Amino acid sequence: MRNNIAKRTAAIAWPTLVTTLLLLVWEVSVRALGIRSIILPPPSAVFETMAQRHDLLLTHLWPSLYLTVLGFALSVVGGILVAVLISYSNIVRKGFYPVIVVSQVIPKISIAPLFIVWFGTGTMSSLLLAFLVAFFPMTINAAMGFESVDEDIHRMARTFMGSRWQIFWKIRMPNALPYIFGGMKISITLAIIGVIVSEFVASQEGIGYLIKLAGGLLDTPLMLAAIAALSISGLALYAIIAGVESWAVYWQPPSDAVAAGGG
Amino acid sequence: MRSAAASPTPGLTPGWGHGGTIVRITALKKTFGDLEAIRQLSFDVADGEFLSVLGPSGCGKSTLLMMIAGLINPSAGEIRIKDAKVAGPRREIGVVFQSPVLLPWRTVLQNVLFPIELLKLPRPQYRRRALELLRMAKIDEFSGLLPRQLSGGMRQRVAICRALVHDPSILLMDEPFSALDAITRDEMAVELQRIWQANRKTVIFVTHSIREAAFLSDRVLVMGRRPATIIDELAIELPRPRAIAVTEDETFNRLVRHLRKAIEASHAE
Repeated sequence: MRNNIAKRTAAIAWPTLVTTLLLLVWEVSVRALGIRSIILPPPSAVFETMAQRHDLLLTHLWPSLYLTVLGFALSVVGGILVAVLISYSNIVRKGFYPVIVVSQVIPKISIAPLFIVWFGTGTMSSLLLAFLVAFFPMTINAAMGFESVDEDIHRMARTFMGSRWQIFWKIRMPNALPYIFGGMKISITLAIIGVIVSEFVASQEGIGYLIKLAGGLLDTPLMLAAIAALSISGLALYAIIAGVESWAVYWQPPSDAVAAGGG
Repeated sequence: MRSAAASPTPGLTPGWGHGGTIVRITALKKTFGDLEAIRQLSFDVADGEFLSVLGPSGCGKSTLLMMIAGLINPSAGEIRIKDAKVAGPRREIGVVFQSPVLLPWRTVLQNVLFPIELLKLPRPQYRRRALELLRMAKIDEFSGLLPRQLSGGMRQRVAICRALVHDPSILLMDEPFSALDAITRDEMAVELQRIWQANRKTVIFVTHSIREAAFLSDRVLVMGRRPATIIDELAIELPRPRAIAVTEDETFNRLVRHLRKAIEASHAE
């Protein structure tokens, strides 16, 4: 137990140390080399901007986060439903599943301008893009989870006369849970990207809009402050999912390896 | 080539069977496409008997067990349990597989109670039974642990308790100890015998270990290479309970030699 705590502390301590060192190197070199703030402000200036203009940042952060979470939630529900169809319907598995997998090669971000044409510059476009990019990894991971039930477990349940319904809820669903969380970790980061890109293309609010606006004004500290705020939010969302995962999937260690495939 | 040791009635150690046939297999045949796995298999199993089916790997003995469990349909012939034809899984059967196949998200006790949930039997009543089985298998102190916290032998004990929890009359075991190390294997054989004596189930035990079959069984059926048929039958009339030391005895070794010869003869053919 004590060993465990020591391990966890080390797991947090080392990256924190490295991050602090990098920020320090950044701060010192920007000052020493006399780089202008418009090119690269020191981290202290970025933090200062974050503190001073937190109202502006939050005003734009909330709609982006709201759409991210909503798009993500839709992708989770939709992904799981489609995954269930994939594992229970031959037509869906044989006809649609390969199409879904192959359609992964389409860089979905490139569809953003098309969405603007179809759904306007409002929140609908952002939401749909977030949903679209987050949906695929969610579906494929969940489908893998439903399908990867050990054949012996299936046979065992059949000898005890388990119905399809029982086998789904008592075996397939819990078996898929680690995969579903793996998919969620990929999807949440993709949902953020979807929203930001959509805001880049056409929007009057949101953190993506703010980044673009600050760029146009050559307000580099504000740009970096917005990026920092976005990164911190993304990290927080990821941490929430990881936290729920370690509670829900109590029988196995967290699936960091699965999530590493995304981003 | 039936051995002289085989008698018309199954060779039961006095005091252990309840007599009467519980499983009757008649002219059983199974083919997978062109592959003939089992040819013309017929035998009876007496109520309360511990019967081993001994044969080399891939001889079709697992297929036989899966057919008795109602998971695979025979190509011809039939299996009757208590005079009812087997057409699918049945309540009166419990199966122990080669690997423990425990659900990793369930505790030991929850795993043992899994059949009770599937069969929709009254939980409180069977909870008591499950705890009793765990106590008998000497793993009751681990009832709250998850499978990954147990050793391989412990997990297989849980699987045995799970197969017994709904009080089936027949226990089917498919090489249940083959994944365990030799020492644990011996231990498990002794434990299984003890559990069997306390529960008096009919056991059909599939194995490729001659020693294991001879140690555990009332009667051993020897199956030859594919397509499988019974090539020998041997009653083991050693007194019970048998200790592992019995395997050092000359009587035991004579039985083992007999079985080995039967298997070797089938290879020579």
